[in-house]
Amino acid sequence: MWIEQRRPTFSRREWLANAGGGFGSLALAGWLSGEGVAVGNDDTTSKVQDGLHHPARVKRVIQLFMNGGASPMDTFDYKPALEKYHGQMLGPTEKPEGFTGPPGAVMKSPFTFQQYGESGRWVSSVFPHQAKIVDQLTFLMAMTSKSNVHGPASYMMNTGFILPGFPSMGSWISYALGSVSEELPAFVVLPDPRGLPYNQKGNFSSGFLPAQYQGTLLDVHRPDVVPHLHAPPEFGFAHGASDLATQKLLCELNRQHAIAQQSDSQLESQIAAGELAARMQLAAPSVFDLSGETEATLQAYGMNQEATADFGKRCLMARRLIERGTRFVQVWSGPQGAVNNWDNHGSIPNELPPMALSVDQPMVALVEDLRSRGLLADTLVIWTTEFGRTPFAQSGVGRDHNRGTFVSWLVGAGVRPGVAVGESDELGYQAAVDKTDCHDFHATILHLLGIDHQRLVVRTGGIDRRLTDVHGRVIGKILS
Amino acid sequence: MMVHHEKPRLNLFARRRYDLMAVVWSHIELWIVSWAGVTVFAADDDADYFVREIQPILQQHCYECHSHQAGTMEGGLALDWRSGWANGGDRGPAVVPNDVENSWLIRAVRHSDPDLQMPAEKISDEEIAKLEQWVQSGAVDPRVVRPTTEDADRSPWWSLQPLSRPMLPESPSSLVSDAKHPIDGWIEKSLNEQGLSPQPRAERRTLMRRLWIDLLGMHPTLAELEAFERDSSPDAWTRLVDECLARPQYAERWARHWLDTVHYADSHGFEHDVFRPHAWPYRDYVVRALSKDLPWADFIRAQLAADHFFPEDPTSLAALGFLGAGPYDQSAAATAPLSFEYLDRDDLVTQVCGSLLSTTANCARCHAHKFDPISQQDYFALQAVFAGVLKGEIRYDSDVTVATERQRWQRVLNEAKVPNSPWLQTADADEIMQQWQAAKPPRWSPLNYETFYSNGGAELQRLEDGSILAGGPNPEQETFVVTGTTELATVTALRLDVLPHDSLPAMGPGRAANGNLHLNEIAMHYFSPGNAVPTKLTIAAATADFNQDGWTIEHAIDGNPQSAWAIHPHVGQPHHGIFVLSQPLQVEPQGKILVSLRQTHGGSHVIGRFAVSVCEGDSLHAVALSTESQAIEQIPLHERTIEQSQKLRGEIVAKFAEQRLKLLPEPGRLYAAGKDVENERGRLQVPQPRTIHVLTRGDLEKPRDVESPGALSALTHAAPRFALDPTADEVLHRAALAEWIVHPDNPLTWRSMANRVWYYHFGRGLTNTVNDFGRMGELPSHPELLDWLACELRDTGSLKHLHRLICTSEAYQRSSEAVVVRSANQPGIVERSTTQPGIGEQGTAQQRIAERSTTIDPENRWYARWSRRRLDAESFRDSVLVLSGRLDLTMGGPGVKYFRESPGPQITPKLHYDDFDLDGPGAGRRSIYRVVWRGIPDPLFEALDFPDLGLLAPQRHQSTSPLQTLTLLNHRFVLHHAQVWAQQCQTEVNHAFESEQAAQPPVEQTIRLAVQHAWLRAATDAEVVALRSLAEEHGMAAVCRLLINSNEFLYVD
Repeated sequence: MWIEQRRPTFSRREWLANAGGGFGSLALAGWLSGEGVAVGNDDTTSKVQDGLHHPARVKRVIQLFMNGGASPMDTFDYKPALEKYHGQMLGPTEKPEGFTGPPGAVMKSPFTFQQYGESGRWVSSVFPHQAKIVDQLTFLMAMTSKSNVHGPASYMMNTGFILPGFPSMGSWISYALGSVSEELPAFVVLPDPRGLPYNQKGNFSSGFLPAQYQGTLLDVHRPDVVPHLHAPPEFGFAHGASDLATQKLLCELNRQHAIAQQSDSQLESQIAAGELAARMQLAAPSVFDLSGETEATLQAYGMNQEATADFGKRCLMARRLIERGTRFVQVWSGPQGAVNNWDNHGSIPNELPPMALSVDQPMVALVEDLRSRGLLADTLVIWTTEFGRTPFAQSGVGRDHNRGTFVSWLVGAGVRPGVAVGESDELGYQAAVDKTDCHDFHATILHLLGIDHQRLVVRTGGIDRRLTDVHGRVIGKILS
Repeated sequence: MMVHHEKPRLNLFARRRYDLMAVVWSHIELWIVSWAGVTVFAADDDADYFVREIQPILQQHCYECHSHQAGTMEGGLALDWRSGWANGGDRGPAVVPNDVENSWLIRAVRHSDPDLQMPAEKISDEEIAKLEQWVQSGAVDPRVVRPTTEDADRSPWWSLQPLSRPMLPESPSSLVSDAKHPIDGWIEKSLNEQGLSPQPRAERRTLMRRLWIDLLGMHPTLAELEAFERDSSPDAWTRLVDECLARPQYAERWARHWLDTVHYADSHGFEHDVFRPHAWPYRDYVVRALSKDLPWADFIRAQLAADHFFPEDPTSLAALGFLGAGPYDQSAAATAPLSFEYLDRDDLVTQVCGSLLSTTANCARCHAHKFDPISQQDYFALQAVFAGVLKGEIRYDSDVTVATERQRWQRVLNEAKVPNSPWLQTADADEIMQQWQAAKPPRWSPLNYETFYSNGGAELQRLEDGSILAGGPNPEQETFVVTGTTELATVTALRLDVLPHDSLPAMGPGRAANGNLHLNEIAMHYFSPGNAVPTKLTIAAATADFNQDGWTIEHAIDGNPQSAWAIHPHVGQPHHGIFVLSQPLQVEPQGKILVSLRQTHGGSHVIGRFAVSVCEGDSLHAVALSTESQAIEQIPLHERTIEQSQKLRGEIVAKFAEQRLKLLPEPGRLYAAGKDVENERGRLQVPQPRTIHVLTRGDLEKPRDVESPGALSALTHAAPRFALDPTADEVLHRAALAEWIVHPDNPLTWRSMANRVWYYHFGRGLTNTVNDFGRMGELPSHPELLDWLACELRDTGSLKHLHRLICTSEAYQRSSEAVVVRSANQPGIVERSTTQPGIGEQGTAQQRIAERSTTIDPENRWYARWSRRRLDAESFRDSVLVLSGRLDLTMGGPGVKYFRESPGPQITPKLHYDDFDLDGPGAGRRSIYRVVWRGIPDPLFEALDFPDLGLLAPQRHQSTSPLQTLTLLNHRFVLHHAQVWAQQCQTEVNHAFESEQAAQPPVEQTIRLAVQHAWLRAATDAEVVALRSLAEEHGMAAVCRLLINSNEFLYVD
């Protein structure tokens, strides 16, 4: 096979250099210093996989993102005081920045809560499946954000900044660690097929990092899941044998050209990219071919039921991707907009249950599936949203945006199961004890991946930028 | 109990004290506070302990708000020297040695006192313990000298040093000829110092492509290549450079560089990534400015304050798009306006300082800049410059004639509205009055009614005088429809008389109990003879003899059925309104006019009696004068009092001017920023600039002093605060900043742009952090060269001059081959290499080592060779279009959407980049005219590193990845144009073959033609053989696809 003629193994340093198009045209002059800080003396990709700065507990991450602001007090953050004060006007008298309307009266949750497991976590009736595995989950019960507005808050949860243009967590991880296998993109995003989240593709942007680190968007419901993997059908001359012959000759001619130019790392890495592209063409389709999955697996993910079919399929794809070498997969629940997501301004009792139903079983199936395959030993699954919701009613029985407190959970490698860190105040309006924010969350995930968040740095626009800005503390209490 | 409490602010006393301190310090503080000046007297263990353990804690957590360095001492407290805490601030001494419990500092860091929790983010228990121990053991602090001012020995950072023209370098060696190009003098001097020898000049075809891609952003055509190759004159290269610079494609290419730098895109970004249909005039402005080589200073002036500097040149107003270039968070603007405006201004300050000054002022938002002499005060002074503008659309006339007309009549209108304005006695006013009087007054011709109809159910009857009276049922709401003919051949205006009548309540003219009426909308239609479908006529202007307060006649033509014209309290008397058509109506014989009068306000505010007439002739005179003026008109001229004449004159001139204004075409729209803009939220006005406070830690909830508009205090060429009257129009703030920036002695402005130009030519800046000339940036590799170029720019203002200088240098024309000879042990003595790779390994007599210069100088900082670069996204696309012959060089206008839109879940549409007609109109336009959707990038452009324009993008990456390779191989655009190009080559060769009977069969000729164009060289026989078998098996399109993807095409040598 022609692609086996030569498999260049670039050192991490070289790869980063090549990424910038050779030192002569580095887009950021500070790149070198950034790289030095970022990758230290690591010379090989295999070493990188053991962690950049310290041994890694986690090799790959699946992030489940509930778009719109999942309500804490209707899911995991049980607040008996809401029943006590139900109907009373206890909120701020002036509309806080980012609220879409003036706060209404205190509103109790329309759902029943019950304690589960050894840990006795409270879970509402909307999450019956997660209720069964609460002892495996690690909860952050008092997360906070800087913004009450979807755009900035989504940016913050994804990139650590409330402004556009910064790399997302997946991009930083992909930049630092690359893919586990070179045949698949390192950072894959599985958006809700009904539409992109707030900020469109900004949440998965590589920001000021090179484009190769951005999230690759895949639509698992399309026949051509990976865009541009093959030519569209109407271009017959670019298919099958022709495609193969073209790529083979292209590679040969590029080699001759490189030799004539006394070679050059840019030309070399372009040739190497061509070889990897060919390998990706071979490897990628098998990821999305579910024919090898058992009926039991498909059912476990809820793919036989309308409510869970889509999210279930994407969770299963997430497993298949990380199994085959993708480093970071994001699965989104809900598009932007007024409906079909977690932004339940109009009615908690009507809008939240269908969203909860669509993800509950698939997410638990994913965790169990990873566990049974041994993948949970080095995989981390995280459940996140951009902010919480007010304990005060809006439009009758809805809830407004609230950056004050919200819930995330983690499960898998490196985290202590059955632990909950942080508490919100009596009403669940503000974080009260052990509050955490996205910086702490990101720092902790990087830590688990063997990365010191303070040392993963790229200089741009005169500032040494990190995923965690100038903040972030590893949440020691949740580490195992 | 459970609701969020705001932190208490400083008490009043504290604030007053603080203000006083700020005043004192603002007079004595200089920019770089030297720590070297702090002498350590106590050299015992305790002092060591302090320096080792305590000082870092204070530095890290406290200095930000309590030090001379930060320029702030909140609450009057300084913690950067002993006396600072010993004297303390408003609360008294911050530290009482040996008394932990009575030391405010300890109480603050413990967060034990709800009113005093410092810093906001609590420091670690370990750090608190150290501080406690230090206080307990006597609080030894060796810092006994007040941290003061500038270290006299320390000269300013390179970029802040005054810009002066350096002496040209002397010829460093025999290698340098006498008439050395100044650029090469400096470059070769540094190469000598590095012991590097330069590569020889690249081949002609290589140079030509380099120049084409660099200056024009596209691949040359074969005809262009041949023309250059034929030109053997010694100045062929210079002329080629000039020709390129004279082509409009140069400006299109370089405009995108600038648009990247200022993060321009055609949509908002953020949550609601809405299209900006009127952003493009700014793009066109930049293209025009570069094309005509507008002096750089004027380019800056126009972008910041064209409304001040170029009011007479309306086309310059499009430059204000600069202020609106960045993203816009529509959702936050609506729900979190304070933080939104703050961050939006931050983005603008970042943009201005980054793009025009290569300075990172935004780093001083939360605290004094950690590396550069920029205080928070400076930062907020810059915010204050833009405190009077909001992003949105402004109106402007791009047509000079229209703009002039509008300005003239607006001025007339303003003057005429002033009571007893002396202007009314000027010759200008006389002239208008003469025009008015000379014109025939309109002759109103009653409409010959064919039908009149009340849909409210009233009974309409025609009176003897031709007017129509409503009687019978008095409906709540009413719409009259009247049709009729006229003997006039042309109709320019319509007159509606509403008339009193004895039968009406309060004599009318309305049927409301008080005689009033509400005319919500009037509409006119025209039926061509025999045509059942009428044409709607547009009414451009309306005047009435009387308008009820707030119920003007314009409400009857505003398209809003909620608003109306009314006449209370002047009831019981006739009134009329006159409606001018935007276009004269040509009336055919038997053509019919339909008039509908919509009166849907309710409460029987309906018309009681009315008449409709039309007129022809100059519609400027079709004006309804007020009842009072009509009465004055009846008085013979010599009997009128001066007051009466003034009154009449004022009204006629004002109405005349209004008519003129209304007949001008609608002004164009531009997405920019201003004090009066329109956007999705409606019309937004900022009557007074916002008050800008310095914010502690950048926190909106912690305001300190008010800051006035200004710029960077570290620069001394002009006053750092603009000292404008606080009531001055905000445009003066922007204008003052522009003048501060373009001042010839501003050391940053000229260096910034000269370096940027160099960066785009070479792919590496002389300082490669092109937006950061501060301490975090890179030192210039060739400081004198940079200064010389900056002086050339400053003194000529011309970018084209810089391009010419750079492109004609030897440094620009070197080969990209990586082999150089470097002297092993005698740096400085270098001969030009004529060696081939590998010769060093064999050893030469001169003991020189042939090394790859990529190893010696991987970044090519010293320019011994040309840095090979991949085509950027635009150059790639435009070059493919050159190959396929489909490049469309139409310039300017609204952008082309290379996608299909469908509704998204919210306002933001879904974009289908894979569903666009690649042969459709505009498909071959240059990439600069592509609609750039900020948050939904085009996959082809994204794959080739088109940047995320959420932030400034002064530099582009060149990434390489398998996904990029796949995109270039399989993207529809590439495949389609591979087909088109293949077809073109075949057609051309077939044509030649038939006419000349060439020796070789067409497939080989076709391959040779395609290779010649893509690689600008003849194909080797081996290449032809290989490509031929591909073509024979899979078609010529496969060959073209390969060539487009080849490194020889993708990379520019």
